[in-house]
Amino acid sequence: MTEHRWTELAAPYALGSLDPGERAEFERHLETCASCRVEVQSFREVSGLLARGVAHATPPAELRARVVRYARRARPAILPWAVAAAVVLAILGGFGYWRAANEARVLRTRFDVAQSQLDSTKYVVAALLDSSVAITDLAATGKAPSMRLYWNRARNIVVVAAFDLPPAPAGRTYQLWAIEKGRAPVSVGTFNSAPSGRPVITLQMPAGVQPEVSAVTEEPAGGSPQPTQQPFLVGSWRSRS
Amino acid sequence: MAAGDERALGELYDRHGSTVYALARAIVGERADTEEVVADAFGQAWRTAGQFDPARGSVTAWLATITRTRALDLVRARGRRSKVLARAAQESDAGFATPLASSDAPDRDVERQETRQLVTRSLGELPEAQRRVIELAYFGGLSHSEIAAELKEPLGTVKTRLRAAMEKLRDALSPRIRQVEP
Ligand SMILES: [Zn+2]
Repeated sequence: MTEHRWTELAAPYALGSLDPGERAEFERHLETCASCRVEVQSFREVSGLLARGVAHATPPAELRARVVRYARRARPAILPWAVAAAVVLAILGGFGYWRAANEARVLRTRFDVAQSQLDSTKYVVAALLDSSVAITDLAATGKAPSMRLYWNRARNIVVVAAFDLPPAPAGRTYQLWAIEKGRAPVSVGTFNSAPSGRPVITLQMPAGVQPEVSAVTEEPAGGSPQPTQQPFLVGSWRSRS
Repeated sequence: MAAGDERALGELYDRHGSTVYALARAIVGERADTEEVVADAFGQAWRTAGQFDPARGSVTAWLATITRTRALDLVRARGRRSKVLARAAQESDAGFATPLASSDAPDRDVERQETRQLVTRSLGELPEAQRRVIELAYFGGLSHSEIAAELKEPLGTVKTRLRAAMEKLRDALSPRIRQVEP
């Protein structure tokens, strides 16, 4: 990260302590400076952690119902489905760094095991090894199942590796969705699980779709044009440009 | 709002409600106002959840920013700043927990308990003058020049202290800070 005079303003900006003139100037600078944006966010993380050091106070039990009631009135204008996905992500993010890192490690180990059991068709391996591959983990709020997606952008192939995913009930199928900000979900394809609970499937990402989020729902056999259920697995694609 | 969505909000509250409540309480003081701020903050979080990007920051930081903003707005709207300042100046019932107090409030969640202890210890390691500046900014919402006026110190000194304190805290808390994407 390059050190420049603006960097000094990141900490007071994150705390909200800049005087108005300086704040406006710094906000203009932030629009064009990625390194200062990262710096600001790191101090926002500090500010967030300081909240954990605040003297303890116990919220009254009835406050939870009030919060939910109040939020119901403040229903968002955007697709509730996309919002639900974002909130699920928010909850996952709230697990804290240690646990997240730990879960990622566990998942990686399990994936290595699953991978060693693959019949390594050239197709799958070539799709995974390509440098244009983006990876995301889909996770549920509970422990199992989980899923890792490999998206080969050059060939628009998505390799799906699931763990602890039971086969779909009779007459039902799983369906993977690609979600672009502010748009309706696009189907990537349907699939089922293996008796081992660890299927590896390749699907085709629809041309021109650049999803921010992917999610999995359970649908009637053959799939649905749009999801009919809440997603049980959600993950965000992090751009690796 | 679908039942599933409501459950998601409920989980968000269960996980972060007590932190948001304690933070709001430390800023606004009165219980009725605290509850208003908490409902307000979760309402805003709910409305803007679609813009939250977990790759670019934690939920804790996101909610803390929303909560502080709402709480400080309410304090300003009520014209009660001087009271807040008086409270931020004390270290008794409001503000950051003392190391002793933090162990009085055991958290069933081990990770949270450890984070809490780390935060309290890191604050405790700051020189008194730096800690004061952080408290005035964090709970009082004071700007650089307002802090300088409050402490009767030169503006440059206040700026240096605040930055030094935040950098020390960032170092000390780094095991709990995830690398973010630009
Ligand atoms: Zn910059």
